[in-house]
Amino acid sequence: MESKTFEEPSSTDDELYLQNASDEDDESTFSSGSTPKLQFRYVKSKAVWNDEMGMAEVIEKRGKTWVTTGIVRSGKVYSSMEESLYLMEIGALDLLDDCERSICLTDMYEKIASSKGGCCWELFEVYRHLKSLGYIVGRHGVSWSLKGIKSSHNAVDGSEETEQVVGATSKSDLPINKLFSEMQINSLRPDFDVYLPNSRFRKSSPGDPSFLLYLSRGDPPSRAEMEALEKQCGGLPLKIGLVTEGRVSFFSFDKVEIPLLP
Amino acid sequence: MAPRWKGKDAKAKKDAEAEALKEPMSMIISQLQSSLVQSDAYGILSDKSVHFAAGAEQIVLLEKACLGRPVGTVEKDKVWFQLSLEEAFFLCYSLNCLKTNGGNRIPQTNEELWHYMKSKKETFPNFFKAYAHLRMKNWVVRSGFQYGVDFVVYRHHPSRVHSEYGVLVLSEGEAVKDVNGRLRVWSDVHCATRLVGSVAKTLLVLYIRRNGSRDDSPSCLANYTVEGRTITRWSPEQCRESCS
Repeated sequence: MESKTFEEPSSTDDELYLQNASDEDDESTFSSGSTPKLQFRYVKSKAVWNDEMGMAEVIEKRGKTWVTTGIVRSGKVYSSMEESLYLMEIGALDLLDDCERSICLTDMYEKIASSKGGCCWELFEVYRHLKSLGYIVGRHGVSWSLKGIKSSHNAVDGSEETEQVVGATSKSDLPINKLFSEMQINSLRPDFDVYLPNSRFRKSSPGDPSFLLYLSRGDPPSRAEMEALEKQCGGLPLKIGLVTEGRVSFFSFDKVEIPLLP
Repeated sequence: MAPRWKGKDAKAKKDAEAEALKEPMSMIISQLQSSLVQSDAYGILSDKSVHFAAGAEQIVLLEKACLGRPVGTVEKDKVWFQLSLEEAFFLCYSLNCLKTNGGNRIPQTNEELWHYMKSKKETFPNFFKAYAHLRMKNWVVRSGFQYGVDFVVYRHHPSRVHSEYGVLVLSEGEAVKDVNGRLRVWSDVHCATRLVGSVAKTLLVLYIRRNGSRDDSPSCLANYTVEGRTITRWSPEQCRESCS
């Protein structure tokens, strides 16, 4: 009897296959979370921060930034805490308070530290990481524009059709001053809708996100928690993000049916 | 991941796949079962293993099915095979083709065997449910300890195909996380995915839910359910490059 065919398959299976080779250069790249340098090629847009609403109203739009940033309501564009802070960090936004004084980065960091605008620091880190790589990121359940409301996916239950979307369940129904102010602390719901980089992105018809993202607030999700989250995804893929000391990583915990083999 | 058949070139890989189709695992297992039944096979239960003396035909079938490990030739034409708890119970209970005794020649019932195995390994009921679930779907299931996982699974004999999954068996009650505490924290998830990824496998977690059932008897197994989830790391940098 040939014993070699019966060995534990260690030698033949030990292929080195570094899937995450890009992680190895953690010293060099921006994506590890270091502060970006000011990009002087950006012309600055202007927006006014509203503490009560937890968002900024854009008063001067410059550049192509606003194609994939900010939500449109009654002809005006509003940016969330994470969007505003990101644009300020890259030097693309001049943020003012209601007395037209410039708000500096330090002030914004303080605001986010007190969870103003429904965003915490780690959520911002995830936002910044994806945005800097060209992804389009919006808060889950908040429509980019009310024009698109009939064609965007239903955030609550994918099985129901368009009648439901315009109804009471979508968060887009909330008046603008309530949309961003509260932070969801204990509810288990997706945080962001993420779209792949797309130069043809239109807020009026964004289509379905490529995936939804939930930021892990502690330990890895249990099977029950994954199921609870997936129920809110309307069949769209879900990824779990986590931030560890400024490094952002993403995991999928996808259900799989082991096939019956012949 | 798609199955990766083994071979030095594309043709050899296709041949491996064809060979596997000609001799499906379900057929091999069925032949093994018949052979064991016919010979009134019995194994000796010792600690966490069952030792079984296989005759010529059974040696071939056990090897093809990738069940047990040959541990030595004592008599002419017979080879001693060592079976793990899961493998042995699969033959005894699921396929009903093997009997065991504790060295005193008195055959044990499946109930006795179940209690014995539970006493040796607290997680035996869950591990066995996972093992049987995979074997009943005709996957080859082997120990995964070299890769830091519970099992590695193959679509057919490991000489023909690479393993796709490294499997972790986790228990899940209503609010209770895994009894063994695996994947309790994120660094465990990072570690496990990196480890299996470095040997070109995907991490597959099998969540065993008891659905209120206990574990007093092997018949409880029928109420357990198995849910599989793959845990994979996603790289936005790599995705963007291949998607644009």
